[in-house]
Amino acid sequence: MAVEISDADLAQRIAAGQRDAETEMCRRMAPRIRLYGLRHLRSAAAADDLVQQVLLKTIEALRAGRLRDADRLAPFVLGTCRMTVLDLRRSAHRQEQLLEEFGTILVPHQPPAPSLDDDRLARCVQALTERERSIVVMTFYDEHTAGEAAGFLGISEANVRVIRHRAIKQLRSCMGAAA
Amino acid sequence: MSNGDSRRGIDCSSPIEAAALMDYWLAHLSPDAERAVEEHLFTCDACGDRCREVMALASGLRALARSGSLSVIVSDRFVQHAAETGLRVREYAPRAGEGVACTVAADDDLLLARLAADLTSASRVDLSWCDPRGIEQQRMADIPLDVDAGSVICQQSITWAKGSPTSSMTARLLAVDNDGGERVLGEYTFNHTRTIPGPPSWELP
Repeated sequence: MAVEISDADLAQRIAAGQRDAETEMCRRMAPRIRLYGLRHLRSAAAADDLVQQVLLKTIEALRAGRLRDADRLAPFVLGTCRMTVLDLRRSAHRQEQLLEEFGTILVPHQPPAPSLDDDRLARCVQALTERERSIVVMTFYDEHTAGEAAGFLGISEANVRVIRHRAIKQLRSCMGAAA
Repeated sequence: MSNGDSRRGIDCSSPIEAAALMDYWLAHLSPDAERAVEEHLFTCDACGDRCREVMALASGLRALARSGSLSVIVSDRFVQHAAETGLRVREYAPRAGEGVACTVAADDDLLLARLAADLTSASRVDLSWCDPRGIEQQRMADIPLDVDAGSVICQQSITWAKGSPTSSMTARLLAVDNDGGERVLGEYTFNHTRTIPGPPSWELP
């Protein structure tokens, strides 16, 4: 069975100029960066851009030996994500020249998006209690905060969160996923 | 949460619960909690996979909530926001004890019944939907209430309504006591005329 090398080994190999280590680092980190991008940028295209920009910055830093503690690769990438998202929000600057140089390795395979049985989901939602269904609909249609839903339902925000958590757990179970 | 390396296919020793990942996706976590989740996700692909499942669920729920196909009690703000975001909302508000002629058009997005009643004396309210024979076809038990609003807004499935032939349905708001006793708070009849081509009648069981 193949044993994957550690993040620290990867960082050291990249610093030593091993290009295959760069490819492996991109394969490993790209899905994590994309997830962060989806959460904070709410756009698949913007998340893909973020992946490229963060991987570029990471490779540059590793090649230059700027990551002093090789064990800190994941936190370094996360920090780079945060800074890059801040930068993206301040300007639409793109690093075209760097992308031309590194483009081929910056689009590694992404995990396929999980598929969802829409009819089954509708049946699962209809099987929730009335309060759970109201909270789910208001939360996902309108991005109601817990406070707004609490005002409508006459219960505390904490109770709204409890009901929402219970509904999510039940929906995942109904859809055949582990809690 | 784990700080070490974790690889796809290896179980996480301290997985983040799906509900917490949903809160993360909805931006409902505190800054500290969000930071902790992100640090974990950058070292744990098992939780990353679960987060992608949660995101897919959120996307499906958003589409479902916007489809108008659910029977659900909603708030006034929900209705306002639906109209503001361009949805075509058809609403009927018969007075208690009265009927209303109604229909649904092909381009309607949401179908709402606004049922006015004095809710202040009820600790639990059920909404019962009965066919013309008085046989209950659907009961929405212990519905959420905004007592001060003095009404209940029920979204009925637009998908169901568009396929419904000309028929009548009666909604009853029922106050339910702790011992199971019921008291009618209001009764409202919806005389639906089909305007979309389709079958002439239900085959009632």
